[in-house]
Amino acid sequence: MYTIEVHNLTKRFGSFTAVNNISFQVKRGEIFGFLGANGAGKTTAMKMMCGLLLPTSGTARIAGYDLKTESKQIKKEIGYMSQRFSLYDDLTIKENMTLFGTIYKVPKQELNERIEGHLTELNLMKHKDQLVSSIPLGWKQKLAFSTALLHHPKIVFLDEPTSGVDPIVRREFWSLIYKAAAQGVTIFITTHYMDEASYCERISIMAEGDLKLIGTPTELKIQMGVNTIDELFTHFVNR
Amino acid sequence: MNQLLAIIRKELIHIYRDKISLFLMLSMPIVLIILFGFTISTEIPNAKISIYDQSEDVQSKRLIQSLTASGYFQVVNYPKSEKEIAEDFSQLQIKAAIIIPPQFEKKLISEKEVELQVINDMSDINVASVIKQYIETVILNFENDINLTEFGKIGQLKVSIQMKYNPELNSVYMFVPGIITLIMIIITALMSSITLARESETNTMKMMLITPVKKIHIVLGKVIPYMALSFLSTLIILAISVWIFDMPIKGNIFVLLILCIVFMFTSASFGLLISAISKTQLDAMMITMMGLFLPTVLLSGFLFPLDNMPYGFQLLANIFPAKWFILALKDIMIKGATFIDIWFYVAVLLFISTLLTIFSVTQIDRRRAS
Repeated sequence: MYTIEVHNLTKRFGSFTAVNNISFQVKRGEIFGFLGANGAGKTTAMKMMCGLLLPTSGTARIAGYDLKTESKQIKKEIGYMSQRFSLYDDLTIKENMTLFGTIYKVPKQELNERIEGHLTELNLMKHKDQLVSSIPLGWKQKLAFSTALLHHPKIVFLDEPTSGVDPIVRREFWSLIYKAAAQGVTIFITTHYMDEASYCERISIMAEGDLKLIGTPTELKIQMGVNTIDELFTHFVNR
Repeated sequence: MNQLLAIIRKELIHIYRDKISLFLMLSMPIVLIILFGFTISTEIPNAKISIYDQSEDVQSKRLIQSLTASGYFQVVNYPKSEKEIAEDFSQLQIKAAIIIPPQFEKKLISEKEVELQVINDMSDINVASVIKQYIETVILNFENDINLTEFGKIGQLKVSIQMKYNPELNSVYMFVPGIITLIMIIITALMSSITLARESETNTMKMMLITPVKKIHIVLGKVIPYMALSFLSTLIILAISVWIFDMPIKGNIFVLLILCIVFMFTSASFGLLISAISKTQLDAMMITMMGLFLPTVLLSGFLFPLDNMPYGFQLLANIFPAKWFILALKDIMIKGATFIDIWFYVAVLLFISTLLTIFSVTQIDRRRAS
């Protein structure tokens, strides 16, 4: 069963085609890497899938709902975490989580339990009343990921979630991703780190609005006759 | 509903934690009112006055001597009748007239209180209050002088001020409605739209837009806390005006508060409009300043009388709600107008708010975030 089905999705801004006729599917609980250079159309594609942008043509079903007609239902079923950290700096950890949990209509009692669960898991329980502006970037990223999971979404979109953090935190972050995927959450992730791309079950590479390649990291390396994902990536970016 | 409350709560935390802005928003009304309320020019040398001496005895001559010697005044005429005083005001442009009662010396010794009448030209309240202070100073010195020298204890001179031209102290009530208007606009329209634009500039707005919460709830969640804050500021202004500046409120205080609440909604609808059309904090600031703040200051009758303006500007003034709000507010305070008397102004305000809100909400819903 697919939680993401994209058919011929296209977005044009005037005469510029940002996303050109892309199609792919992602299974439930899969970790799907969405790669491409800056300006390749990744962000635009992701915005359409999140319901922030209307496609020029093409359709998609996200979590079983139609992109064009059921964007409200889609919004309830997805979580999102951005490259730039996007929780409120002048709110405490707990206040941030309560705010987003309430917006997603998680019942109060239930929400408190979930927040406590996540904070315990992250070892942040004793910092829950600290302002977000005062905590290290690595904590913030993990916290933002947990917040995106609070309402038990079917899909989580991660837009370069680990940029700017050190390798240790990145590894911790990935263990959180694996844990969520094991519970059946589909992970849709964009990244600049090629080692991270090889952690994904399947990856796709976008360039100039086109979806150039899709498959498991191993398949793609064999298909293109290269040894690393890095080479695979530069092959398309430099063209 | 819970979503909206959650956003309002979050917004209140923002406001509360941003101590500098909070302090500015709450102190601004106080600073403004004190700036406008207390005089800026403190010294008026050689103010022209007339003295009508009905007594013409030794002590009255001494009082006149003290007044002229003080250096504050230039006595331009010694009228012999009340009618002549009136002429002095219009022809010699005197700022005040002092009337010394008949048998001044005798009264000073025998009576406890002697009334000294001062007629003050109130068309400029600041000048008038300074002159009043001068007169009181001179009279105090005069009393002390006599007490020390000849008579021992004498009756107290009581200065009774009579106001001419503007018995309702024009500028006092002129600036209070204006300040309320400005504060409402700054807090409700400007602050809410600026902080909304700030969230678009940082990434938090994107985060909000991805959630299932309705866009209008995001905007309302922004505007409502600032509405509450502007109402609090209005109460502060009213309290200071009444208790420090003796502003009259002849009408019903509840009618007045209802009017303020209506205007709060009008300002909020401008906040919605500015939020809908501005993308950055700078946009929000410029649109509020040029499109709302300046017209309010210039065209509301707050600082410059509308009657003196070219007809075109008078017509233009009608589309800015501040004019109607200020008219209604003055009617309540000065004339004691009831709700029936001001319903037209309230209707205009509600009409403008409804129009703006409908327009803004459709704009906000139509715009897809990019």
